[in-house]
Amino acid sequence: MSPTQMLVWAMAVAAFGLLLRRRGLAPARRALRDTGASLLRLLPMIAVALPLATLFAELVPPDVAQGALGRESGLAGILIATAAGSLLPGGPFVTFPLVLAFLAAGAGPAQMVALISAWSVLGLHRILVWEIAILGRRFALLRVASGAALPVLAGLLAEALLLAFPALGR
Amino acid sequence: MRRLLARHATFAVMSCLTLAAAVAVALLKGEAALRRALSGALDLAAFIFPVLGAGLLLAATMRQLLPEGALSRWLGAESGLRGLLLASLAGIVTPGGPIAAFPLVLVLLRAGADRGAVVAFILSWALNGFQRILIWEIPLLGLEFSALRFLACLPLAVAGGLIARRMPASWQPEAR
Repeated sequence: MSPTQMLVWAMAVAAFGLLLRRRGLAPARRALRDTGASLLRLLPMIAVALPLATLFAELVPPDVAQGALGRESGLAGILIATAAGSLLPGGPFVTFPLVLAFLAAGAGPAQMVALISAWSVLGLHRILVWEIAILGRRFALLRVASGAALPVLAGLLAEALLLAFPALGR
Repeated sequence: MRRLLARHATFAVMSCLTLAAAVAVALLKGEAALRRALSGALDLAAFIFPVLGAGLLLAATMRQLLPEGALSRWLGAESGLRGLLLASLAGIVTPGGPIAAFPLVLVLLRAGADRGAVVAFILSWALNGFQRILIWEIPLLGLEFSALRFLACLPLAVAGGLIARRMPASWQPEAR
C-alpha cells in the first residue's frame, strides 16, 4: 500500500472513531451499512470500467496523446480535451483510469485537468439524468451556461501553475 | 425507480462499450494487445481496491457526522462574494455522488440560497468533491496531479457563481 493510501485509511479510521465517540453505536452502524452498500453498487461498475479504460488506451494512437493532447499542445490541446471530456460517458470509474492511460502515453497534465473539469462540469450523462430530473430544464441550462467556459480556464490555470511549480507536473 | 433504471442503464451501456472495445482491440491490434489491456485492468484493480473501502468508509462517516441542515444554514440567507465562497466550501465537503448532492440543492433553494450560490455549490461539488478526489484521483493519478487539478479548479466555482448571477435568464429559485 502506498503512503497516500495509508493516509486515506488513517483518516477514515480517525473519522470513524470520532463518530463512534460523539454519536454512539447507531450512527456508526449506519455508516458501516452505507459503506457496504456503496461498495456493492460500485463493484460491478468497476469490473467493466477498468477493462474499458485499458482497452481504450490500446486504441488511442500514442501520437494523439503526445501530439494533439501533449505537453506542448497548449490552448488547442486544452480545447480538444474539453470537448472530449464533455462527451465522456459514465462515472469516475471510467474517467480516472482513462486519464491515467493518457498521462502514461504522454498527454500533458494541463490538458488532462481540462478533460476532467469538462467531464465534471459539462458531462452530458450527469446533466441529463440528474440535473434536469431534479432541478428542471431551465436551471440545468443556466448552470451549464455558467460553467461552459470553466474547463478551458482550468486548463489555462493549470498551465500557469505548472510554470510556477514544475514539480506538480512530474 | 428512476434511480434504479438510471443505474442499470449505465451498467448496460458500459458493458456494451467494454465488449465493443475488446472486439476492436482484438481485431485491430491483435490478441497480445488484448491480453496486455486485460492484465493492465487487473493491475489497476489491485491498485484501487486497497483504498476504495477506506474512501467509502470516510464518506459514509462524514455523512453521519455532518448534522442535517448544517450546510444549508451556512448558505441560507447568504449572498455576495462570501455566499459564493461558502457555497464552494460546502460543495467540497459534500460527500457522495449525485444521488446525495442534488437533493441537497433542493434543500439549499428552500433555505433561500440565491442562484449564484446554488450554481457555485454544484460546480464546486462536481469539480472538487472530496470523496472523488480521495477514492479515485489521488490513488490513480497521484498526489501531484491531484493537487494541480484541485488548485486550478478552486477559484472556478466562485467564478461560475458570479457568471450565473449575471446571466440574463429569469430563473428564480422560488419558482420551483
